[in-house]
Amino acid sequence: MTAPRIVATGVGVISTIGAGREQFEDNLYAGCAGIGPSQMFGEEAITAEVRDFVPQTWLGTKGIRVLDRAARLLCVAAEMALSATGLKQPENAEGDPQFGLVCGTMFGSVHSITSFDWSGQTDGVKYVNPMEFPNTVINSPAGQAAIKFKLRGVNSTISAGLASGLYAIHYAAEFLRFGRASALLAGGVEELCEESFVGFRKAGVLSASGRSRPFQAGHDGMVLGEGSALLVVETEERARARGVTPLFEIAGFGSAHDAHAINAFHVRGQGAAAAMRQALEAAGLTPADIGCVIAGASGSPAADQMEWHALKEVFGPRLGELPVSAPKAAFGEAMGASGALLALCGATALRRQHAPPTAGFIGADAPLRLSAQAQPFSAHAVLVNCFGCDGNNASLVLKSV
Amino acid sequence: MKRVVITGAGLITPVGAGREEFWRSLVAGQSGIAPVRSFDTSDYPVHIGAEVKAFDPAHWVRNRDPESMGRGSQLAIAAARMALDDAGLSLSAFAPRRVGISMGTTSGEPGFVEKYNDIRKAEGLDALPADLGAKYPCNVIPSNVAIELGLQGPCLMIPTACAAGNYAIGYGFDLIRTGRADLMLAGGADPFSRITYTGFARLGAIAPEKCQPFDRNRKGMVPGEGAAVLVLEPLEAALARGARIYAEVLGYGVSCDSHHMTAAHPQGDGAIRAMDMALRESGRSPDEVDYISAHGTGTPTNDRVETIAVKTLFGRRAPQVPMSSIKSMLGHTMGAASAIEAVACALALHTGVIPPTINFTEPDPDADLDYVPNTARQTNPRLVLNNAYAFGGNNASLCLARFEEAA
Repeated sequence: MTAPRIVATGVGVISTIGAGREQFEDNLYAGCAGIGPSQMFGEEAITAEVRDFVPQTWLGTKGIRVLDRAARLLCVAAEMALSATGLKQPENAEGDPQFGLVCGTMFGSVHSITSFDWSGQTDGVKYVNPMEFPNTVINSPAGQAAIKFKLRGVNSTISAGLASGLYAIHYAAEFLRFGRASALLAGGVEELCEESFVGFRKAGVLSASGRSRPFQAGHDGMVLGEGSALLVVETEERARARGVTPLFEIAGFGSAHDAHAINAFHVRGQGAAAAMRQALEAAGLTPADIGCVIAGASGSPAADQMEWHALKEVFGPRLGELPVSAPKAAFGEAMGASGALLALCGATALRRQHAPPTAGFIGADAPLRLSAQAQPFSAHAVLVNCFGCDGNNASLVLKSV
Repeated sequence: MKRVVITGAGLITPVGAGREEFWRSLVAGQSGIAPVRSFDTSDYPVHIGAEVKAFDPAHWVRNRDPESMGRGSQLAIAAARMALDDAGLSLSAFAPRRVGISMGTTSGEPGFVEKYNDIRKAEGLDALPADLGAKYPCNVIPSNVAIELGLQGPCLMIPTACAAGNYAIGYGFDLIRTGRADLMLAGGADPFSRITYTGFARLGAIAPEKCQPFDRNRKGMVPGEGAAVLVLEPLEAALARGARIYAEVLGYGVSCDSHHMTAAHPQGDGAIRAMDMALRESGRSPDEVDYISAHGTGTPTNDRVETIAVKTLFGRRAPQVPMSSIKSMLGHTMGAASAIEAVACALALHTGVIPPTINFTEPDPDADLDYVPNTARQTNPRLVLNNAYAFGGNNASLCLARFEEAA
């Protein structure tokens, strides 16, 4: 049995550098960064928020009130992806029972669950609003999106820390290979909220200078972001049968755990290197086939160093000539949404045959070929990385179709 | 594709720890439900829960400080260690990158949300400890197991609420089947939480005295906690090492009601599709199923809808298929529930005995199937379905078979 090729045929994205694929790509390639003063936590806090977010622009007003911020972000991405691919289920139809959603997230519903518990601890448990309970489960954004868009197939929420988005895309591809779905929305979502922001700030891992400078001189931590990106994935055969031209192929995934610590990167990067090698092998490629690397680096010195070590191990001397892009310079560390946002960067790089600029690049801390400008390459495959501080590493290879 | 078998099981549950104690309790129809001890319930209208008693994290978490992680991780590590012991496996026999873990949960490590709010209330957020944030995201549960045991392969949390265990076992099954891993630990973990308890209490869903699924007088579910981890490996590896095989995993099915966040589809649409998909993937028909481990929470709606779903799929044969809910004894252990129930299914296939639904006194005209009332039964099942349903409209059914060489 030949394994069917899994392709992406549509994209929905909402991020600090833009809503919708075109705006996201244009801003990414213009070197724009969405890092700046927070609307949520006061101006002295620097974040990569989705600013002036008005979900009604895409979703109308019906049913919005019950959705928390993560669910709103996810539903906006879903609306765009479905509209772009003609897969939006008609108003009066039941919905395709094989069409589903695989959603990566890290902190999930942390704001809703904390608010719910806070109400119990301050108002008293007798006064807690039971209508707010459903939003406390980690899979609530995915469940809400399923109701809104009649997604009746698999509805999995996937959590692998900062690598969640890539795991979700891989999980969706596996479901399609097994014939368990007709098509799937796959990607991730994360909302920025007080709980995650305070947690990271207390841990001392946020950039004190308020800059997101992956791999760069003076990198001093990450800037927290948020957003949602979803791909429509299906088999190539099905896409062609319904007259749709695939955007790119999801060609290979790799994952490896460092089994080292829950809140520290394994600087030697053996797990990260293993994830990259597995992804290449699964795609039937060698490092020489890769045109550019979309790095997961977020400006946290240990993480950047780990990724550099791992890249050196996988690409050897060729690393000096391989274009590398670190898009978190533009949209910060969007946690559970990062993987899908980075995959979208990789897809755009493939199409444009240019690695995206690393916004505001001022000179590398590591000898990597980064640039504030888009860097040309000529190849049919790119590598996307997501490495988490809990030791979980994931890599994804995307190919042109 | 490889055949996948279950060769080990580790559990920490309200009715006991370890496969043997767990199974003895279940077959004897013992309940693990008791007055809640982990927090004061005087402000609640209900006071019972299904907590894990006498759990000593330090006995299981040996390579790190047990207090450096939450109870969800502690329970998961205990279950994982027991599962490996039960399988008679030493991890040193495996390439570390070929051993992975996949877990399910509803609320992950909610203890840190409680701690966050307790500190916020007492001292303000400035007093938060630096390491609190990193301990919370639910992916730390499988990561903590991986770190404790040195697992360097795939590591995933699937937080699909109360059906999560089945999703996680399904993912582990997929990785073994396709040869991506040589050994997978798969299951679920959920700690007892005042948040979960508050939510279900405010929904009016908690039973006041006991959990009595499918009984006419059922009054609700009972929140619980626990963890279960199964050892999954390729059949040929299990045979080669002469392993004890509890059951074979044949397939699974998942679906979404896309109807309501907390209420099941009234006709059981998603539940029917999940069971149907699991059987199709397994190459089996409803006629061959001879035991169903029900989701069976004990709420009036769940048990009615699950009965409708089984009747729709199994037709006239439905009353002949025994279907029991071990939640009558364990309460609802949330994301761990379907993993614990999967162990029960595997042991039913292995021992030939199906566990009962206890507290069953009066049949319900709306729920008129064979719920294996009150007493375990020797039926020697060969093919079983493990049902699990969840908030978000998630449904997952897992299909297991008694191991027979020429399947």
